[in-house]
Amino acid sequence: MIEFNNVSKVYEHEGQHLTAVKDANLQVERGEIFGVIGFSGAGKSTLVRLANQLERPTSGEVLVDGFDMTNLSAKDLRSVRRQISMIFQHFNLLESKTVYHNVAFPLILAGESKSTIKERVEEILDFVGLKDRANYYADQLSGGQKQRVGIARALATSPNILLCDEATSALDPETTQSILELLKRIRDEYNMTILMITHEMDVIKDICDRVAVMEGGEIIEQGAIFDLFTNPKHSTTRKFVESVMKADVPKSILADIETYNDSRHIYRVTFLRSRAGEPVLSRVAKKFNVEVNILYGQILEIQDTPFGNLIVELQGGDDEVLKSLNYIKETVSVERVLVDAS
Amino acid sequence: MQVNLLEFWPRILEATQETLIMVLVSLVLATLIGLPLGIALVVTREDGLMENNFVFKMINAVVNTFRSIPFIILLVAILPFTRLIIGTTIGTVAAIVPLVLFSGPYIARLVESSLLDVNQGVIEAAQSMGATNWQIIYRVFLPESLSTIVLNLTIASIGLVGASAMAGFVGGGGLGDLAISYGYQRFETDIMIATVVLLVVIVQVFQAIGNRLSKRLKRL
Repeated sequence: MIEFNNVSKVYEHEGQHLTAVKDANLQVERGEIFGVIGFSGAGKSTLVRLANQLERPTSGEVLVDGFDMTNLSAKDLRSVRRQISMIFQHFNLLESKTVYHNVAFPLILAGESKSTIKERVEEILDFVGLKDRANYYADQLSGGQKQRVGIARALATSPNILLCDEATSALDPETTQSILELLKRIRDEYNMTILMITHEMDVIKDICDRVAVMEGGEIIEQGAIFDLFTNPKHSTTRKFVESVMKADVPKSILADIETYNDSRHIYRVTFLRSRAGEPVLSRVAKKFNVEVNILYGQILEIQDTPFGNLIVELQGGDDEVLKSLNYIKETVSVERVLVDAS
Repeated sequence: MQVNLLEFWPRILEATQETLIMVLVSLVLATLIGLPLGIALVVTREDGLMENNFVFKMINAVVNTFRSIPFIILLVAILPFTRLIIGTTIGTVAAIVPLVLFSGPYIARLVESSLLDVNQGVIEAAQSMGATNWQIIYRVFLPESLSTIVLNLTIASIGLVGASAMAGFVGGGGLGDLAISYGYQRFETDIMIATVVLLVVIVQVFQAIGNRLSKRLKRL
């Protein structure tokens, strides 16, 4: 649906060259929510603008829905752009116009008739839950409502593709959730292809099917969201994963461990996929002469699949502990079991 | 010989009318020149919608040139030009020519700064929807900046009130003419005071109308 082949973008300013995007390769499939994550300045903003040619690539090929975007005439590009909508971090609504007019705007640009516009705008405003706000102005709306208007405006022309430029970065966590829910609903009901950029791993975790990690203009890692979470290869990717999944043992627990030192057996147990639902630890406690004490833990749901990370202490004789460990290892695909902090 | 202010009223009213005509007609004509020039300055500049360095520099230079000539000098310098298009250099209609040439470039600058204030993100959004450049000018730039433009045109109109008084000096008529020929040259203090008061009232009214209209145009 969206394909980047060796795309680079170099800005030239007063003899200085700045590479914003370097040799980017990615493919977004139809109906997929594809996330691009990176710290600020990583080039993700430029990347998403290359998709609808708000930015022209210096080299490489951008294909959208089969169109070679870089070789379209100005007129053809405008008509393809109607199939690629975009929403923005700061919403970018017309301040002088009502919510109704803002949503109608792309239809007015396309030269639709008044009656078509009215019907469509009312339908879309209903869909995003802003039917009663049609005559409000942007400065009378909350951030979440403004983004809903932005989304309604993006949907007005019934596009196939939705580009999201940090669409939730200016919103509080609760509003972010409701906007993400809305985006998911849009994907499900309209079979929309969504390409979103963000610096928030939470957003990626909650909504994306696949993700690409960008750094210094390059895509350093990409893949299915679950794989990236459970097995990040690049240190930057690991940092993003750790931003939602704390991998470090909390200080208070570390201090505790140091006090008692060798006498305790503390392990990190990582659960993958459906195994997180199995009562492994309680079985261990029943089967062997050990007590299982959970010191710290976190279970995330990624793509409807649980992913757990527990710090547990096995209390009992060395022998029993060893047996328990082997049992855990073979029954559940425990990926990493770390030894005592000492 | 002192004139009686009460008997002199019709002359003052006539002069007020001349001032208003000079200011309003000049304002309309200068806006017709200044608005497109201001838009052109914004869209042809670097990274503008229709970037064109040559056109930008040309307009920029012309606007700067006119803006740097003091009005009193512009007034006499273009007398031959005024005679060419109006047929005379004396009277209210003739005074409109220098007033338009004076305030047109000024309005161009005011429009330019109003348009530059329009949120760049909204323009980008319109582009992402497949808007043409003309649609962006007509449907984004103008409605989004209309309120500011009106406020700026109010400033220009008040500038025109001042300039029109100077135009009176070379026979343009109006309150300025009256103040100089009676109040100054014939020491008629009453008339001087009356004209000044009227000018103050005109400026106040213009500003009040401008403020109200601008506020109204914030929401279209």
